Amino acid sequence: MMKSKLEQIKKDFLESISKVKNQKDLSNLEHKFFSRKGELSMILRNLKDLDLKSRQEMGKLANSLKTDLKNIIKKTKDILNKENMDDIVDPTLPGEKLITGNLHPITIVKREIEDFFASLGFMSIDGPELESDYYNFTALNVLAHHPARDMQDTFYIDSKNKEGQYDLLMRTQTSNAQVRAMLKHKAPLRAIVPGRCFRCESTDARHEHTFYQLEGIMIDENINIAHLKAILEETGKFLYGPDTKLRTRPKYFPFVEPGLNGEFSCFLCQGKGCRVCKNSGWLEVLGCGLIHPHVLKAGGIDPDKYSGFAFGFGLDRLVMLKYGIKDIRFFHSGDINFLKQF
Amino acid sequence: MYISNNLLKEFVKIPKNLSTDEIASLLNLHTVEVEKIIYLKEQFKNIIVAEVLEVNNHPKADRLKLVKLNTGDEVLEVICGADNVEEKQKVALALAGAILSNGLEIKETEIRGIKSNGMICAEDELGLGEDHEGIIVLDKKAKKGQNLADYFKLDDIIFEIDNKSLSHRGDLWGHYGLARELAAILKAQLKPYSNFIQTVNYKEANDFKVKIINKDLCPRYLAWRVENIKVEESPQWLKNKIIAAGYRPINNIVDASNYVMIESGQPLHTFCGDKIKNIEVRLAKKGESVKTIDEKDRVLSENDLVITSEKQILAIAGIMGSLDSAVNLDSQSIIIESANFDAVTIRKSSQSLGLRTEASARFEKSIDPELAPLAMKRLVTILKDLCPQAEFISKPSDVINYQENKINQIELEFSWLYKRLGKEIDKNEVVSILEPLGFKTEINNDTLLLTIPSWRAVKDVKIKEDILEEVARIYGYNNIEPSLPEVKLKPLLDNHELKLERKIKDFLSKSAAFFEDYNYAFVDEKQLLKMGVDTSLHWRLANPSSQNYTLLRQSLAPNLISSIIFNQHKFKKLSFFEIGRVFFPVEGDYDKEGRKDNLPLQEKKVSLVIAGYENSFSKAKGVIEALIKNLLGNNQEIEFSILENNHQWSDSNWSIDIKLGSENLGYIVKVKKEVADKLNLKLQTTIVEINFSKLLDIYKNISGIKYQQESRFPALERDLAFVIDKKVSYNKLYKAIKDFNPLIVEVDLFDVYLGDKLEKHLKSLAFHISYQSSEKTLSSQEVDNIQNDLVKFLKDNFSAKLRDF
Repeated sequence: MMKSKLEQIKKDFLESISKVKNQKDLSNLEHKFFSRKGELSMILRNLKDLDLKSRQEMGKLANSLKTDLKNIIKKTKDILNKENMDDIVDPTLPGEKLITGNLHPITIVKREIEDFFASLGFMSIDGPELESDYYNFTALNVLAHHPARDMQDTFYIDSKNKEGQYDLLMRTQTSNAQVRAMLKHKAPLRAIVPGRCFRCESTDARHEHTFYQLEGIMIDENINIAHLKAILEETGKFLYGPDTKLRTRPKYFPFVEPGLNGEFSCFLCQGKGCRVCKNSGWLEVLGCGLIHPHVLKAGGIDPDKYSGFAFGFGLDRLVMLKYGIKDIRFFHSGDINFLKQF
Repeated sequence: MYISNNLLKEFVKIPKNLSTDEIASLLNLHTVEVEKIIYLKEQFKNIIVAEVLEVNNHPKADRLKLVKLNTGDEVLEVICGADNVEEKQKVALALAGAILSNGLEIKETEIRGIKSNGMICAEDELGLGEDHEGIIVLDKKAKKGQNLADYFKLDDIIFEIDNKSLSHRGDLWGHYGLARELAAILKAQLKPYSNFIQTVNYKEANDFKVKIINKDLCPRYLAWRVENIKVEESPQWLKNKIIAAGYRPINNIVDASNYVMIESGQPLHTFCGDKIKNIEVRLAKKGESVKTIDEKDRVLSENDLVITSEKQILAIAGIMGSLDSAVNLDSQSIIIESANFDAVTIRKSSQSLGLRTEASARFEKSIDPELAPLAMKRLVTILKDLCPQAEFISKPSDVINYQENKINQIELEFSWLYKRLGKEIDKNEVVSILEPLGFKTEINNDTLLLTIPSWRAVKDVKIKEDILEEVARIYGYNNIEPSLPEVKLKPLLDNHELKLERKIKDFLSKSAAFFEDYNYAFVDEKQLLKMGVDTSLHWRLANPSSQNYTLLRQSLAPNLISSIIFNQHKFKKLSFFEIGRVFFPVEGDYDKEGRKDNLPLQEKKVSLVIAGYENSFSKAKGVIEALIKNLLGNNQEIEFSILENNHQWSDSNWSIDIKLGSENLGYIVKVKKEVADKLNLKLQTTIVEINFSKLLDIYKNISGIKYQQESRFPALERDLAFVIDKKVSYNKLYKAIKDFNPLIVEVDLFDVYLGDKLEKHLKSLAFHISYQSSEKTLSSQEVDNIQNDLVKFLKDNFSAKLRDF
């Protein structure tokens, strides 16, 4: 019974293989006989239903048939391969196209900086984009009617409070999260706030009403200007390489005292002067300073016990510099020809 | 603000070997931002003195003249429209390449068939005055071919200072303030301002009185009548000083008061004094109006401070004078005002009137009231020089409404100073920094007692941190060596939000091959209306920068659809995602000001848009299923059910909720055809929106993925197709099969058939159903039994029939 089945298989196999013309036929044949549900496999599986003696005998037969047939397949394969070699092939043809997507370039750079600051023990936090006048200005020592409000053209929300004033706005700076972070996490504190900000201005290649900042604060006992400079210098080295230098000069921001402006030596020309740095050799990328005691107080922190520094980068500017993007409007363009490059 | 190098040098001795660039760099490093260095001479490039040889009429234009000029090098022909051009005059000739003060670039042109090789300039075209009556006629002795800057001795160099860097320093809005800074930086001598003041004699007489009604808004008011003056053109030296600081010369009186403002930072005003009796400073009455010197009628409010005489408004205090009271060429008598006004009042008025002037820009920064008498004295010194015949009537009125000569002090410890600097510097060095800035110092061991000069005490120096800044900036931030802080180690808290956001973005961009899109938080109202969205409950911007972005978004969908529209002509298949906030008119979690009410809700959403695929809806479902399993584990049972609240813009047949247990995470919808047509959206588009914070809540609480041991016993797979009513959703049938028996471990739909072989209201759903036990190998018989019960159950509950293949 079993024996005749095996012979039938052999006959079928030899007949089929004589008709094989190419690799595909061969692989179909191989599948037919040797796959899990293939003809020979089924026989081998049914062996278990036989008594011990027949099982041994048939097992031997079936296995030797399997070896024979496999050898034939191998030989046929070799022959076919040889024939194939004579065909002219073009291995330089393009590979199968893999469809990929991309992260937004701002996301990419934001992550790199977040990871860098995480390595220094800075947590990354977020704040509201629709903010109160209090956290965006007043708590940061920018009182109503302070001329410093001119420095930022604010988008106000069309909703007035009981006093008849606009008190809701789109945050003009990530600094809005400073006092929130102090109240929530207390001192000592190390945090960065990457996020988007808004200013009411018309857009062109260099200006956007929606832009991205990255704020950092560190509060502890006896934080000083030398500490601030060191953290920023390390940041510059991380961003632009180990030879990067930091240069600072005074700049007025109401929420820091003293307030500084920071520049890194230009990574393209190494400070010699080029188009990117407008021939100055320096890239103006950040504002910083020691946190004003009024701001610490607003955050519930005792300025006699603690001091701190704060700094802010234009995150989108860093991205533009890194990738050589000349027009800030690309970031919100949704243009795939832009997005696919990162 | 323009700062003249020549004028600085009058107050402070700048070492000769210091270049202009070096001065700018020192100011940058220690005080203010110098944006640009302007060489005045370059503004007069290609503008030269020329002599008029012949004046003829233009053959084809009645009003134009053909002028032949000698430039010293050559003879040129120029077409000119001025009436006052005459032979033998010396004139200012702008040759090709010159750029006039109004920005006009001179080129060789042809006017009615005749070539013109340049332009003969009027005073205003050169920025030298206001006159446009005719061309400017130069001195007969002027040298042909000489550059006009040389002719006028305009050899100054200008530092353009960024006004923003001065917004806290009212004392730096004049040259003397910056000269003081330079003196401190260079450790050079600063000439006292009193050196520039001479006393003038005055005639005793009974004159006008000054009355201040709102004393707190006008800390100081000086006024002085000068008679017998002659209003005329300023001498060249005064014009040059005015021009260097960026002003146009007007007449000797106005120019002199502008000049004193440029020097000292104190705005001064002069009224025509012929008609003025008494002066009263008060808040305007509601509805009062005044025509200002720019010839505009201004309606005032009760918050605007005005200077009045009898019933006439002479000026909006600290902002602009009235046209009626302006000094004119016939004025015989003038009144000089040197006053101090409340900064906030001036700022508010200037904003509400939309009127910013040189005076208001200074007053709103807070000016030292003790500067007012100094500036008055300086102006009369100059006037005496300009109009020697002028008579000063009685003593100047001087109303003082603040505590004069008040001593403001700050005490600090040197040790504190060094701790904040991060560097120890010599005590004498500290003193030598502060003294030239006007601070008086007193040292007592570790303690430093400082008396703040009046010009700094007004506003910007109040606390010891302000002194830290003075020391640090003059010492030089670049002289403080960086040093990393030594702090206690503290592990970072696990940041679930950040982690989840990254995981979502990675999955969608990498595994699902979507592009991450960033869109504005604002949305176009016109687009929302086309989509049928009710815009009345959207937050609205009070001052939008563009009419296309007036509302805050409540969904990421509209802007993502715009991204599809932007790309649809270039790409056939598109898929984007975005994570961002949306804004609702209900209270959210963030507090507003420690007060009871909270800020509006501003949730984060994850949104996907898929367009142009054969079945974008099905692709969206597949992606969401894979995403949620990737984030929360393979054992998550996601339920898609027919959307409960349909959008106005979605196809109601293709709208489903995404549910996880009892939580509704979001929705998947196809954009309705009519809406797509209105938006000009060409591709079939599906939108997914997921609530990030709900996802985050689940993510935070999942116990994490546990490895599941695969059953050692084989699974038996049966294929069954059920014919059911079309109205029964796959979802229901699937759940019924899956939940029927615990041994049913997998239910996998492999075919949907709707067609000729079935009645119209029926469909066939075919499933692979896997049976498996973790305890034993199931026999065919056991599986058959369950299957029979299942078929019966489905027949009873769904009228489902087994399909014959």
